[in-house]
Amino acid sequence: MDTSDEEYVEPSSVPKEHKAKKRTNQENTGYSWEDEYQRTWDIVKDDDSRSLEAIIQGMIEGRKKKIMKLSTSPYQRGIIRTMVVIIDGSSIMSEKDLRPTRFSLMLQYLQEFIVEFFDQNPISQLGVVLMRNGISHVVSEVNGSPQYHIDKIRGLRSRQHNRFEPKGDPSLQNSLELARSLLKYNFGNNINDSKNSKEILIIFGALFTSDPGDIHETINSLVKDKIRVKVIGLSAQVAICQELVTKTNHTKNSNYGVIMNETHFKELLMDCVIPLAITKDSAPKVNEEKVPLMKMGFPTKIQPVTTSNLEPLHFCACHPTRGSDDTKNVVEIQSNVSNIGYKCPQCFSRVCSLPTVCPVCGLMLILSTHLARSYHHLVPLSEYKEVPKNDEGVYDSQWCFGCLLKFEDGLGSSRYKCGECKNDFCIDCDVFVHEILHNCPGCQ
Amino acid sequence: MDEIADNTFTEIHTAELPNDDPSLLTLILELSPGGWFNIKDETTILDVVKSLLVFLNGHLSLNNANQVAFIISSPTGAKFLYPNPQKEMDELRRPEEYEDSNEMGIPSLVSKGMYRQFRIVDEGVLEEFNKSINELVDADNTNITSKLAGAVSLALTYTNRMLNLDQSISTTTASAISSATKESTGVNTNTSSSSYQGLTRIKSRVLIVTPNDNEDIKYISLMNGIFAAQKMKVPIDVAKLGKKDSSYLQQAADATNGIYLHIEKPVGFIQFLSTAYFIEPSIRSLIILPTNSNVNYRASCFITGKSVEIGYVCSVCLCIISEIPESMKCPTCNSQFDDKIIAKLKRKPVVKKRKLENGGAEVSSDNGTLAPATPEPTPVPE
Ligand SMILES: [Zn+2]
Ligand SMILES: [Zn+2]
Ligand SMILES: [Zn+2]
Ligand SMILES: [Zn+2]
Ligand SMILES: [Zn+2]
Repeated sequence: MDTSDEEYVEPSSVPKEHKAKKRTNQENTGYSWEDEYQRTWDIVKDDDSRSLEAIIQGMIEGRKKKIMKLSTSPYQRGIIRTMVVIIDGSSIMSEKDLRPTRFSLMLQYLQEFIVEFFDQNPISQLGVVLMRNGISHVVSEVNGSPQYHIDKIRGLRSRQHNRFEPKGDPSLQNSLELARSLLKYNFGNNINDSKNSKEILIIFGALFTSDPGDIHETINSLVKDKIRVKVIGLSAQVAICQELVTKTNHTKNSNYGVIMNETHFKELLMDCVIPLAITKDSAPKVNEEKVPLMKMGFPTKIQPVTTSNLEPLHFCACHPTRGSDDTKNVVEIQSNVSNIGYKCPQCFSRVCSLPTVCPVCGLMLILSTHLARSYHHLVPLSEYKEVPKNDEGVYDSQWCFGCLLKFEDGLGSSRYKCGECKNDFCIDCDVFVHEILHNCPGCQ
Repeated sequence: MDEIADNTFTEIHTAELPNDDPSLLTLILELSPGGWFNIKDETTILDVVKSLLVFLNGHLSLNNANQVAFIISSPTGAKFLYPNPQKEMDELRRPEEYEDSNEMGIPSLVSKGMYRQFRIVDEGVLEEFNKSINELVDADNTNITSKLAGAVSLALTYTNRMLNLDQSISTTTASAISSATKESTGVNTNTSSSSYQGLTRIKSRVLIVTPNDNEDIKYISLMNGIFAAQKMKVPIDVAKLGKKDSSYLQQAADATNGIYLHIEKPVGFIQFLSTAYFIEPSIRSLIILPTNSNVNYRASCFITGKSVEIGYVCSVCLCIISEIPESMKCPTCNSQFDDKIIAKLKRKPVVKKRKLENGGAEVSSDNGTLAPATPEPTPVPE
């Protein structure tokens, strides 16, 4: 065991603009331990004029309204990003400087990150690796479904106090090697760097790594494989992480951040939603105005006819032959053997998973549902407006158009009208329609 | 090295076990005049509705707490046939007189002796169904596009309410308080509600029955519905009557783990309903489900509306077009396309050649597998 990489760097190297930004939006800022002690009962101010129920009702509605995000401005989404997120599950993650614990908060933010990541990068894939007790575990395999990852993270969260409590030392090398093989199996070569980027994001709570071998070798292989690494430190800068980030990104840019408090943690994490390729430091924009047009194929999903027990063997064009030189290069990962495949519409090769670049003809292959994930940005749904009483001092509608819920009288309007179809909706439908569905049920 | 080589998969089982939790079944029936006309020799809409009522009653009889909803997607718009809040209120007002006739003075459509729960549903659906048919007859038939996407949206908003019913009071209140605490001290965590907590016990599924052969579904809206259903874990089952497969509904079923069947001969439709579509989503993983085809994940061209297998995609808004427009501009977001790239895309044989020059050596030496340009032996740590 080689634990020589323990170097402490003061968190003063946090980018200056982050601090400046913080100061302007909030009066009460700084490290989370400087915060005033918070008591949940302080916020409920007893007001004789309104019942407690009404206050809570108002609070819930206010919160639901507030969390509805503004639609983001469009930018280039047509990049297949494959990202492996390495999370720290070593014993230091049970520290309580982030509430309730570092580990718990990290998992919570990670869930939100996954939602946002797939929202902004619809044709990308993600995987999650956990460093715990010296070895690394695959939490979720590289996959393009946000729901799959969220389920896995939720599973981890629910077991964080028994089977998966933070334990032992982290090993960056083990995790990086695992991440490297995950990335490699999904995207062997960079046929076209502008279409395709391989990234690793590390959320690192510890101040050292305990590795079985020479981590510098691993860093060199990452550089060779053109995998770029970003690190978010939860306590202080560590020299080995700095080296990792600098070498794999070929620049000394801001891909290594150390958090100051919960909000800053979230900011750093959400910054990773934006593709690295278009961050301001790298790749100067050639054409400000002109955007590339991509040729894509929409393959047919081949699924076995379930009535027969005799399934012929299938060969795919994407996985290397077992025992060939390519498989010796990385840690082998058993992938789920599945009968489901996709057929390239141009050359009819079979591939195992999407999105990908056809290994035979180079056509980008993707499911139309991947692209459609971002379409709600194209036609943003206008906000519903709170309904005032009509001239007789009553409301026109009695129940919600979407869910048939009867509107309660007495607690404000609680009705929100669609400007297009003039139907009234309850607050739950309003939030659901704008946050999740992105369709007005009355307007279709 | 041993530790690296360990194939340590942390498989966390999240699949739920089959249980007796109540279940909501939402039916969507598409009332497309052309579609039903085309299959008039095979079946009639009345036969299908009758079968669907039996199906609903079957679902209700499985569990006391089971729920049903019936939505019609008519060219005049999508709307609920059941539940009907108007009717519920009438019934509350006069539970006894209701036995004799409904408010329109028409004698009851179903037998009075029927099990009360069934009767309420059947009567409600049939009454409203007749109204919808009459509305459709009166309406001018200028706009007869499919409103199926709206019906799916309605089904999901209703499902959302049912899913949230149990948990809303406890969890939302708790999180409202905790987030308000944070706001009051200036630490804005902005907790997103879009992550589904999955605390509810009611299960839900949607069944779409449609004979519509025109692929005139609003593509974007339907896709949005599919993603919402995915998030909520609501399978969308599809019974496609008529002559053709519906590629978009196939995708809807496939993406949500639903069952898609193209039923060309709907004679004995109840058989299909009571077998394939009757299986609860929680036990579907244990059963070999019927499917009849490969799923064609074709997309819809934004300009022509035709489905495409190989198309062009704007890298800003990701809209799909089947041909490059004359103006070289994206029809949706108005971005100017890069002419160099378009020129490359247009010269097809040259693209092939370029591939050989740049990547040819690499590909041939590796037998076409994905590999880095310079394979290196693994660094072997001790
Ligand atoms: Zn393969
Ligand atoms: Zn191909
Ligand atoms: Zn509602
Ligand atoms: Zn509307
Ligand atoms: Zn565009």
